[in-house]
Amino acid sequence: MSARILIVEDSPLVTDAFRVLFTEAGYEVDAAATVAEAIERGSSDPFDIMLLDISLPDGSGLEIMNALRERNSLPRATLAMTGHSDAKSRRSCLDAGCADVLLKPVPIGELLRRIEHLLA
Amino acid sequence: MTMSDRRDPAALKKRVETLEQQAEEAQRAIDELRSRDALKTQFLSNISHDLRTPLAAIITHAEILRDGMLGELNQKQRDSVTGIVNGGQQLLDMIDEILTYVRSASDQVSLVRTEFSLAEVADQLRVLNQALAAKKRLTIERLNGDDLPPVYADRDKIKHVLGNLIGNAIKFTNDGGRIWIAFSRRGADGEEVCVEVGDTGRGIAPNHHELVFREFAQVDASPSRPHHGTGLGLAIARKLVELHSGAIWVESELGKGSRFFFTLPLNPPRD
Repeated sequence: MSARILIVEDSPLVTDAFRVLFTEAGYEVDAAATVAEAIERGSSDPFDIMLLDISLPDGSGLEIMNALRERNSLPRATLAMTGHSDAKSRRSCLDAGCADVLLKPVPIGELLRRIEHLLA
Repeated sequence: MTMSDRRDPAALKKRVETLEQQAEEAQRAIDELRSRDALKTQFLSNISHDLRTPLAAIITHAEILRDGMLGELNQKQRDSVTGIVNGGQQLLDMIDEILTYVRSASDQVSLVRTEFSLAEVADQLRVLNQALAAKKRLTIERLNGDDLPPVYADRDKIKHVLGNLIGNAIKFTNDGGRIWIAFSRRGADGEEVCVEVGDTGRGIAPNHHELVFREFAQVDASPSRPHHGTGLGLAIARKLVELHSGAIWVESELGKGSRFFFTLPLNPPRD
């Protein structure tokens, strides 16, 4: 069975691009656009990988990490994505349990390599 | 106070009142300008952030096509899609430069200091810029610095400054020219390190030496200018150096190359 990826991203443009990318790469893809939606999707059936946009319309992506942890439904690995890199926000993502923090847009080759590595 | 004021207390009182009123008006104007400047900064920050999102989608889609994930492309198709990716990337770099500037201008930047070697950062940047320099047959050398003590500064920000100076040197130096990075100690007990990025490029007229560090300033601002950019690179570099209590300047003459310098205190107070 192919690995499952949850894309948490509020821009439908970016979600569409990722959906094409991961589907073509052979993953099973689901998407959420808000904190609430991501918690709902994530807790029903745990994902292998969560690709997490940190700034969402109804809160911070890191709230999703906490909520899923409480429900024992954290994905195997979470990759945080931010629009700007600063040491402080990077730190808070890693502290919240993200495997890595990537600056958007991540070159697709690198993104696919990292996900493969996390799943290995 | 004039002679007539001294003789006429009423006139004096009136004069003081007028001055107070003028001072109040000036203060109001300053407050108004400050709040408009803050609005402008916020706008630039928002718009830069919002521009990034659709651009990220464009670049990702183009990469999916370029890498043949939706079917193999022929060479011409691949070249064209590669053009989309590269153009998008360049646009993204410019947007990021605006964001960096807005953050540094609005004091949203804090320094994360660590000890590191400037020579090592310089070498990394030489490697990073090698391909770009090779296209113009430029050499980038580091003249010295192996014996330099480590600096205690924000590595990413100093790398940004040095990278910007090297990038400019590449941009404004003609084919076959030379670029060098050199270090020296300055101040009474050598308590400052001075970093130099020099080139054999076209140079900058003395009356433009100040202008190049001003935001949005380009010596040639015409739409037909050969080198495009945000005009923010050196303004950002200056902000970042000043955040470190350093100074940045240029020594140059038209046709005789440029030498950009910046200083960093070697032993800044540690928190």
